Amino acid sequence: MLPTRPPAPSSAAHPAPDPDAALLDALRAGDEDAFVTLVTRYHPSFKRVARAYVSTDAVAEEVVQETWLAAIDGLGRFEQRATLRTWLFHILANKAKTRGVRERRSVPFASLGGEGDEPSVPPERFQGDGAAWPGHWATPPRPWEDPELRLQSLEARERLRAAIGALPETQQAVLTLRDVEGLEADEVCDLLDLTPGNQRVILHRARARVRAALEDYFEEELA
Amino acid sequence: MSFDEIVCREFVELATDYLEGAMPEPTLELVEEHLAMCDWCRDYLHHIEATAGAVAATADDARFAPAPPDSALHSLVGAFRRRSGGAGGSA
Repeated sequence: MLPTRPPAPSSAAHPAPDPDAALLDALRAGDEDAFVTLVTRYHPSFKRVARAYVSTDAVAEEVVQETWLAAIDGLGRFEQRATLRTWLFHILANKAKTRGVRERRSVPFASLGGEGDEPSVPPERFQGDGAAWPGHWATPPRPWEDPELRLQSLEARERLRAAIGALPETQQAVLTLRDVEGLEADEVCDLLDLTPGNQRVILHRARARVRAALEDYFEEELA
Repeated sequence: MSFDEIVCREFVELATDYLEGAMPEPTLELVEEHLAMCDWCRDYLHHIEATAGAVAATADDARFAPAPPDSALHSLVGAFRRRSGGAGGSA
């Protein structure tokens, strides 16, 4: 059976509802608990995105702090033409870029996350040119049964976290925005000044590396 | 890349483009022809989807999420309170 063709990316005509709409109302009413919830909720993702632009975790923390201070200042002017989340990530990206320039870091996404043209799957897992089916699987992947269930164990989640943490910072930033935060591809391109093609290359490299780590884990479980 | 078919080694690089619906029509047809025949590449595609799902699930995993430092959170709450004009704490 053919897999169903993935749906076309959602169009601007049907913007997603703001997942933080309730929090936004509470923030405007001065609700400190709502503010703490928001800061805590976005802290890991903010730090990962900031870290793509600046040299240390400590500087990334400072960028996150500057972002919240700017957001507090700007909240009254926020017009909800974007979601709260997108607005916050824009502030963050601008602060991080400014800081990166001040640190004289090279533009992080110019090099496609570095590491050359790393294949998604090691070449030795495919049949060579002299084989019966060149380019086809020699060591094929095994189906994953119930991955959601199997990934609930503490060890699995630690392995997953470690795999994400081991990615180059640019890959962590794109993976975080797309797969953790669920931003649309065009929003991420806009935030990080990426072309659509480069955004997909970086996202795929990140997913391919994490997939390989999960495959190792599942294979060890079977062994 | 050959012009009349896609092999597994090529497909694994295209899985995200396929899932994103970002593939020009001629390539899309070749990919769908390949997937119709290749159980293993369908497994690989499922792995990539499951990986994206697993990464998404980490958002809810507070156990691993680094919390903002207490001092940072404290000073932000102070700034928020001044901005909101409230002198009192949260209800």
